[in-house]
Amino acid sequence: MNVTIAALTLRGMLGRRRAVLLFVLPAVLLVLSAVLAFTGNDSLGVSTGVLEGFGMVVLLPLIALIVGTGVIGPEIDDGQIMYVLTKPIPRGSVILTKYVCAVGLITAFAALPILVSGVLLLGPGSDVPWAFAVGAVQGGVVYGAVFLALAVLSRNAVTIGLIYALVWESMIGGFIAGSRNLSIQSWAMSSVDELTTASTVEVDSSVATALVLALLTTLVALGLAVRRLSTLTLATAD
Amino acid sequence: MPIISTRDLTMRFPGVTALESLSVTVEPGVTGLVGANGAGKSTLIKILLGLQPPTSGGAEVLGNDITTGGAEIRRRVGFMPEYECLPPDVSATEFVVHMARMSGLPASAARERAADVLRHVGLYEERYRPIGGYSTGMRQKVKLAQALVHDPQLVFLDEPTNGLDPRGRDEMLDLIRRVGAEFGISVLVTSHLLGELERVCDHVVIIDGGRLLRSSAVASFTEASGNLVVEVEEGRDALGAHLAERGLTVQAEGRTLVVRIDGETTFDIIRDGVVDLDLALIRMEQARHHIEEVFQR
Amino acid sequence: MSTAIHDIGYRHYDGPRLGRGQTLRALYTHNLRALFGLGRGAKAKIIPFALAAFLLLPALADVAIKAIVKEAQFLIPMAAYGYGFQPLIAIFLAALAPVVASREIRYRSVPLYFSRPVGPWDFVAAKFGAFATALVLLVGVPVTVMYVGFLLTRSSLIEAAQQGGGFGSVEDIPTVAGITGDWALALLGVVLLALVLSSFALLVAAFTPRRGFGVAAVIALYLISNVVVGIVQGISQDRGAWDVAAWMNLFTPFNLVYSVQVALFDAESEPLIAVPDTAMGLTGLLLCVLVVAGSLAALHARYRKAGA
Repeated sequence: MNVTIAALTLRGMLGRRRAVLLFVLPAVLLVLSAVLAFTGNDSLGVSTGVLEGFGMVVLLPLIALIVGTGVIGPEIDDGQIMYVLTKPIPRGSVILTKYVCAVGLITAFAALPILVSGVLLLGPGSDVPWAFAVGAVQGGVVYGAVFLALAVLSRNAVTIGLIYALVWESMIGGFIAGSRNLSIQSWAMSSVDELTTASTVEVDSSVATALVLALLTTLVALGLAVRRLSTLTLATAD
Repeated sequence: MPIISTRDLTMRFPGVTALESLSVTVEPGVTGLVGANGAGKSTLIKILLGLQPPTSGGAEVLGNDITTGGAEIRRRVGFMPEYECLPPDVSATEFVVHMARMSGLPASAARERAADVLRHVGLYEERYRPIGGYSTGMRQKVKLAQALVHDPQLVFLDEPTNGLDPRGRDEMLDLIRRVGAEFGISVLVTSHLLGELERVCDHVVIIDGGRLLRSSAVASFTEASGNLVVEVEEGRDALGAHLAERGLTVQAEGRTLVVRIDGETTFDIIRDGVVDLDLALIRMEQARHHIEEVFQR
Repeated sequence: MSTAIHDIGYRHYDGPRLGRGQTLRALYTHNLRALFGLGRGAKAKIIPFALAAFLLLPALADVAIKAIVKEAQFLIPMAAYGYGFQPLIAIFLAALAPVVASREIRYRSVPLYFSRPVGPWDFVAAKFGAFATALVLLVGVPVTVMYVGFLLTRSSLIEAAQQGGGFGSVEDIPTVAGITGDWALALLGVVLLALVLSSFALLVAAFTPRRGFGVAAVIALYLISNVVVGIVQGISQDRGAWDVAAWMNLFTPFNLVYSVQVALFDAESEPLIAVPDTAMGLTGLLLCVLVVAGSLAALHARYRKAGA
């Protein structure tokens, strides 16, 4: 963990136009939840629909994509990454630091708003908001690693990440039963299901499998990222 | 018939006035526009090109008013910006051909002209590689090529030697001189170094803080500034007095002496003086011009 | 390398200089080619052609089904093609709008254009034209394939019906005139969709030139608008507030255009949760016009600023 890199990464993410998107997206969720709560449309069904359909399916992957690619993508793009790579800092430390920043940002801009939305809709007594928040953090941990690795591996990381989130996870993941085990979404949702008894949250993959796969994916992604970063010096030397 | 003439041209941005009542004329040939960074050189070019409307005042380029005849002006001028402006994923050839077509050249003429111009600026096999892999010198050449490809009557070159090593700078200055002399294209070239423009320009316009400071033929500058800078380890004042006694015009400046060159003998007198007084000579060289000199006059 | 060149000397150009119209066409072609990655190496072609292929597949499947299974029904109604495959189209928008809209802004080459007889409106026209053309092709080609497939298989379907297979009778098979009408209206819908989507996507991309950011912004707007509208519509449905549900269609791009198609171009209303009436259709159409006009105006301002 390198504090300087962390500070620079955070400042980079929060100090630009990109930050606008990071604030606006969860704001929409919060406003919607507030309006629904205020107008009395906060039944369990509606609320879990909002938390899952908006929070987990849309907000979480989007924020994770923007953050995961944003913590390292632009630096690689404009060559700034060289400043870091020419210092005697282990590549693993660079990746780890940025990863931790990413997870922190995803938690702040996705998991936390999901939690608050849930509380707005279902009140502080329900366990549903907390279940979703935990699921969101878990999803964020995996998404963050995968998108970070993508950003190191490809200049079109955002588009590829989008194709994954939109095409794979919603279209194919929904139709082919077996592939449900290969979706970061469903791993997160199975944890949510595990943590709450709410009837409107039902996922059929097993939690244990999901957690194992999630952990595995995270580690593989981070490993790939470190590996690629080490060879990056040669590829982008001008 | 001046190629450029401005009348009380003023450009005010919130917080800074880039140009203040600038009235200047530029004749055909190679003209230098000199000023410190932020003096308003780039702003002036932008206004003349019609990229930016002035706050007040007017100007004419090649006989066309910048407000009413902007399109006609842009058909006949070329522009080489000071900053990075090239896409990295196309080759120089592709890019220059595209720019030629944007200037109205038909496709085949564009290809021919692009090939010619790239050769003239000195890009050979590298012209087929993506621009992203070029050195600074090569990029400057591409920028110059796209400014010339459509055979303009006047080109605006903004800091063309920026970022170049001494050899690259020489090459570029040579090119500019050729553009003016051989190609027959008028040039307005900016720089913050007066010294290098001396070599290529017929005329120099100096602006400072958005105002016109001076506009003269280059010859008048170089005459007055034939100076030598002499630096000795110790005994500067003694040397100064010694040289003055021998009839040289000497001025103390910082750690050095500035001696006016009155002829071949000046060098000998200085050398003899240093030897006679048993001093350690660090350097004796042509004084480089600095903008400040003009301000001191 | 010396610049002393053994050459024939500089030659002036006395040939023709083309007018604005032709320069505009050259710029349009340049942008269209850049969109599909032509002349930029293999990597740039993958995404556009892959997406185009994915969008073509269902149409081909439709024709195959007609020919093999002798089924006269369209797999997806021609008019609803764009609406039905919105995720793919959305990805196309997100991935390629930055390629068209913000390349020159990102590389700061806009002044090189504007110091030539090319101005901000030329930029807007060429880019809007190119991107809209691409979208029309992207959706229009599959739709036309389905139409042509119908024309080609119609006689064999009639034969099959006469021999007693598949349907009740020959009357069940749609007429050429009817289907041609459907096809024309579907294309009208495709054009409207292309105009609305491309102008707005270009606008968003032009204001987010940093790589990847434009992609994320376009998709974010699409997804968020869809999900919010979906939620509100779901609730309205539960409460029986059909009007609210129908009006909500106007707030997300694909629903907006499809509502206009349903209300004014006689498209099937089935895919939409709540059916829009003529008033909503006209309002939707007005909204489309405003979106296009507003986006193009803002785009013009953005390019003008980038040229200074």
